[in-house]
Amino acid sequence: MSVTSLQKDRRGRARPPRFGSIPRKAGDLILSDFFVLYLSLAYFLVLVPFLPTLTNPANLSNLLSNMWPLLVVAVGQTFVLTVGGIDLSQGAVIGLTSAIAGALLATAGSANVLSNAPIWGVLIGEEGGALNGVPGAVWLGIAAMLLAGALVGLLNGVSVAYLNMPPFMVTLVGLIAIGAFAIWLTQSENIRPLPEAFIKLGKGDIVSLYLGPQDEPRIPRRQVYSFVTWPMLLAISIAVAAHLLLSRTVFGRYVNAVGANRKTAEISGVPVRRVIVTVFVISALCAAAGSILYSARLEAGRPTLGEGAFLLDVIGAVVIGGTSLFGGRGKIIWTVFGVFFFVLLSNTLNLMNLSAFVIDMVKGAVILAAAILNVLRTRLIQERTA
Amino acid sequence: MSTLLRLDNLSRDFFGIPAVRSVTLEVPQGAVLGLVGENGAGKSTLMNMIGGVLPPSSGRLFWRGAPYAPRDAVDAAEAGIAFIHQELNLFHNLTIAENLFIDGFPKRFGLIDRRAIAARAGELLADLELDATPNTLIEELSPGERQLVEIAKALHREAELIIFDEPTTSLTPRETKRLFDVIARLKTSGKTVVFISHVLGDVAEHCDHLAVLRDGQLVAKGPIADFPVPEMIRAMIGRELSGLFPDRTSIPQAEIVFAAEGLGQSGVVENVSFEVRAGEILGLFGLMGSGRSELARILFGLDPHETGTATLAGARLTGGPGRRIAQGMAFVTENRREEGLMMEAPVAENLALVTIDRFGRLPAATVDRAAMREATEKMRDKVQLKAADIASQPAKSLSGGNQQKVVIGKWLMAGPRFFILDEPTRGVDVGAKYEIYALADRLAAEGGAVLFISSEIEELMGVCDRIMVMNRGEIVGKFAERPFSDEAILAAAFREVAA
Amino acid sequence: MNTQTLARLALRHATWLIFAAVVLLFGIGADGFLTAESLGNIIKQASFIGIAAVGITFVLLTRGIDLSVGSVMYLAPLLAGLAMREFGLGVGLGFVVAALAGIAMGAANAFFIVRLGIAPFIVTLASLFFFRGAGTWMTSSRQFDFPPEMLEFGLSSVLGVPLPVVVFALTVIAAHITLARTSFGRQIYALGADPEAARKAGIRKGWVEAAVYMISSGAAAIAGFVLIAQIGRLDVAFGEGREFDVIAAAVLGGASLFGGVGTAIGAAVGATLIQTVKTGLIFLGINLYLQPIALGLVIFVAVLIDGLRSLRVQRMQRRAIRAHTGAD
Repeated sequence: MSVTSLQKDRRGRARPPRFGSIPRKAGDLILSDFFVLYLSLAYFLVLVPFLPTLTNPANLSNLLSNMWPLLVVAVGQTFVLTVGGIDLSQGAVIGLTSAIAGALLATAGSANVLSNAPIWGVLIGEEGGALNGVPGAVWLGIAAMLLAGALVGLLNGVSVAYLNMPPFMVTLVGLIAIGAFAIWLTQSENIRPLPEAFIKLGKGDIVSLYLGPQDEPRIPRRQVYSFVTWPMLLAISIAVAAHLLLSRTVFGRYVNAVGANRKTAEISGVPVRRVIVTVFVISALCAAAGSILYSARLEAGRPTLGEGAFLLDVIGAVVIGGTSLFGGRGKIIWTVFGVFFFVLLSNTLNLMNLSAFVIDMVKGAVILAAAILNVLRTRLIQERTA
Repeated sequence: MSTLLRLDNLSRDFFGIPAVRSVTLEVPQGAVLGLVGENGAGKSTLMNMIGGVLPPSSGRLFWRGAPYAPRDAVDAAEAGIAFIHQELNLFHNLTIAENLFIDGFPKRFGLIDRRAIAARAGELLADLELDATPNTLIEELSPGERQLVEIAKALHREAELIIFDEPTTSLTPRETKRLFDVIARLKTSGKTVVFISHVLGDVAEHCDHLAVLRDGQLVAKGPIADFPVPEMIRAMIGRELSGLFPDRTSIPQAEIVFAAEGLGQSGVVENVSFEVRAGEILGLFGLMGSGRSELARILFGLDPHETGTATLAGARLTGGPGRRIAQGMAFVTENRREEGLMMEAPVAENLALVTIDRFGRLPAATVDRAAMREATEKMRDKVQLKAADIASQPAKSLSGGNQQKVVIGKWLMAGPRFFILDEPTRGVDVGAKYEIYALADRLAAEGGAVLFISSEIEELMGVCDRIMVMNRGEIVGKFAERPFSDEAILAAAFREVAA
Repeated sequence: MNTQTLARLALRHATWLIFAAVVLLFGIGADGFLTAESLGNIIKQASFIGIAAVGITFVLLTRGIDLSVGSVMYLAPLLAGLAMREFGLGVGLGFVVAALAGIAMGAANAFFIVRLGIAPFIVTLASLFFFRGAGTWMTSSRQFDFPPEMLEFGLSSVLGVPLPVVVFALTVIAAHITLARTSFGRQIYALGADPEAARKAGIRKGWVEAAVYMISSGAAAIAGFVLIAQIGRLDVAFGEGREFDVIAAAVLGGASLFGGVGTAIGAAVGATLIQTVKTGLIFLGINLYLQPIALGLVIFVAVLIDGLRSLRVQRMQRRAIRAHTGAD
């Protein structure tokens, strides 16, 4: 098979792209797990002379803070892609859980804004969300968000694994219906204010940097640049846990096996259906966890969070990292670098004062470039193992 | 007799490794040339060069005396060469007629002239005695019928040379017979046939000439009369094979390892009862579509059964494959590529797949990679796998025989008591076949019970202690004592079909 | 006819059954739904998604996907509008420009998919953003007004049939003939069933693939142009997210995401079904925000039935052992 797929066709019909011969060293670099990281660093270094603001502490702090929520969501998507599926509903889960966070945790409610919403008077009223004032409210609220996410994931997973439905269509329906449900809940309104304890999860800092003069009696807030933050700790712990889960555990082998060849996995005793369901639940849970970070940073419950271009960011970042859309090949570490590259790219484009639509265009182009790179990688692997 | 095609010093290598080395051969017109060789001997590469799929690294081809260098399969087809692959090139969602004309439809007013294509297809089908209308969808045809459509396609394109690559692997005996009738008729009408097969008896019976490849080189050629089967084998493997089958080293013991009692599933199998003892290899013979593979799937918990029970060492079997593997079952399926292996994944990952949970360490079931490496390397040696670096080499880079050893090896890792082997030697060369038989014998000798499913009656007679025959989902005969009578077995298998 | 055959027929023609059920349900539940006027309106409104769904069916048949149709619906008519304004082109020529622009965008997708071998999902996801970005840049994120003739054209009718319905019908007929009766059409089915075999059979795989993406984008462009002609202006968010409606309509109409299965007429029925649900919900006075949920449910049911159907087909194939008289 590997032989026939490499054959040449001189009549200009479909054929794998030719890149000329690639030196062994360059090939090693491209095949390295760290390739995207090297690429990001090179990109960073090249741009520093032209964009001095890039290395400003404020910008670096901002860059990092943009990375964490996206990373959490992308980690979940990596699992689904590795098993050979796709999860388009992550954005809708983010919106839904954000609305839930608002409805449960708001410290006050405004009838002007919300009186038309079906949750008004049920979950939220003038005196705030249902959990407002309850001890441990933040934790209960987070539990509710994760539970809602898990339910959506369960629904997706069961439909795919047990009802034989294509993941693309199932999660597309999820994207449309769950997204609409979230918007219906609040009639498209944002819910605020949220409690301080919750907001801390999205922007609270642990280690910060102050670069101003030493003799100020009070440090102005905007000159404090946070580097080690709660979102960072959360995102890194989730990524590390996911990395261990995917690459080091029996479950991770199952995920890879199902993605590589579902029938073989089934006959070899892999609980294929349970693996698929679990993977979709993980994806939705990660989306819900991402929603905690996004909502807290926004200081509001917003049902439209995660709409539109967000999907591009998530799938784009994972694919840039090198995870295959066809299953059987995925690594969390690739996703970490992919997310880093993607966030760095957005950040630099912002610094160049480009408008939103140009940024979208460039993102599109970068995703294409990453895909070309992936094709190149596949060819290299084929050549080396043939 | 004139020469239709001449190969002159043809060579081909892949990344510096020669697959075919300086082969010089004449294919005489109007005859059937048999081409045999072990897997990896270069048969497919050689034919791919003729069929325009691969360009030669060096050497030349002459078609009817003129230099011939096909750029691709289409070029070869235009020259008059048809290549019928093991996996047929038909489109299941199109009709027979559409499949014949897919590369160029006759048109009326710019649209496909459906009447014309149906008429032409009808003629060809009648020639081949295929009883189906031209507007039948391919997905409604049996494998044998599909193969006839493929031949019709070659005839429609007025091919002069038709290459068959292992054409009988998915056919029932009756379809096989029909295929040979068709080949004989092709020959009478002046067509030339190249016939590649592992079934040496067929080659001896139906070919006029023989060419034998070994390690990419042409090691023997000549009229078929010079090559009785043992001679073919000697040429293929380059040494004397004492017998096709290893001696059995164990005899069945009293202990019943596996028992099926009245298994039934409406429309699939009915009232299937049998038992396999420790140290025993039980053969299951049946034609394609007799329900043997379906029975295997039911035994393994992949498909449900409505009535009856199955027990392993006295304990009732329940649940899906995972549960049954834990209870001591193993299942080598008939389709390696689709159900047996993760082709892109390294050999070691494939070997460890069934037992991966046993390498899990608490608390989070992390895989003990050192233990896994040690166990998989041990298994590589045990099944005599010819693979240097199992940790990085993907399964697809191995030959068919070695791939099958990986499949058997992954089950051996689990130390099963009851082994189902479904067509374990399909598409495997003679040398590897022998090793697989030896593995089956060893499984039994170590106290296991083996259910050996096959449509090759000779191999069942060679390795099994008992043989049972399946027909239309029922066990219709059990043959307990050697020597087996192939006539009786076949009669049972054909029982109602022949009537 | 036994229950098994009945069940098989029901599964095979699920779209029609759902369609009938939905019409019946709304007919009973909402006054005035079952009138010629409202049913005519449904077809007219369905034409927008319908035209594009017929186009994307070509892509789905080859195992591909086209996520860029929503952006093409926006950018192609915009280019036509600019040409009409700058060069004083008539609406007819504008229509041609829109279609050509759409085809060109499809060609751009095809270049990456066919020549560079990149997954269609990625290519069209990227071009979704690229095309919309280009359009927003050209209009500086402002609404674009077409010349008044555009509206005249959009509201015109042929023999009493409104223009969108005429275009819709012509598209369906042309697509049906192409798919069912031309060698190009049959080669599309062949390619979807087995790409490798198609290549070996001498089908010019690259060209067929390129053509389907051009057809899909061309149809999307025409769909956009026809709808915009109803409104007379082009909003910034026009067509956003429509790719999902279009894919849903095609799948609802029986097209498989795994290639080789689907028809032009099915896609048209799927689009009409979606519009019927939308209109019916309005008749029933259901909260607008809930509409997508109902729609999602209908799509879910259709996809579920498709999943069950393929499971059943697998099971039926296994059952054949004892049902047939012979062993071969």
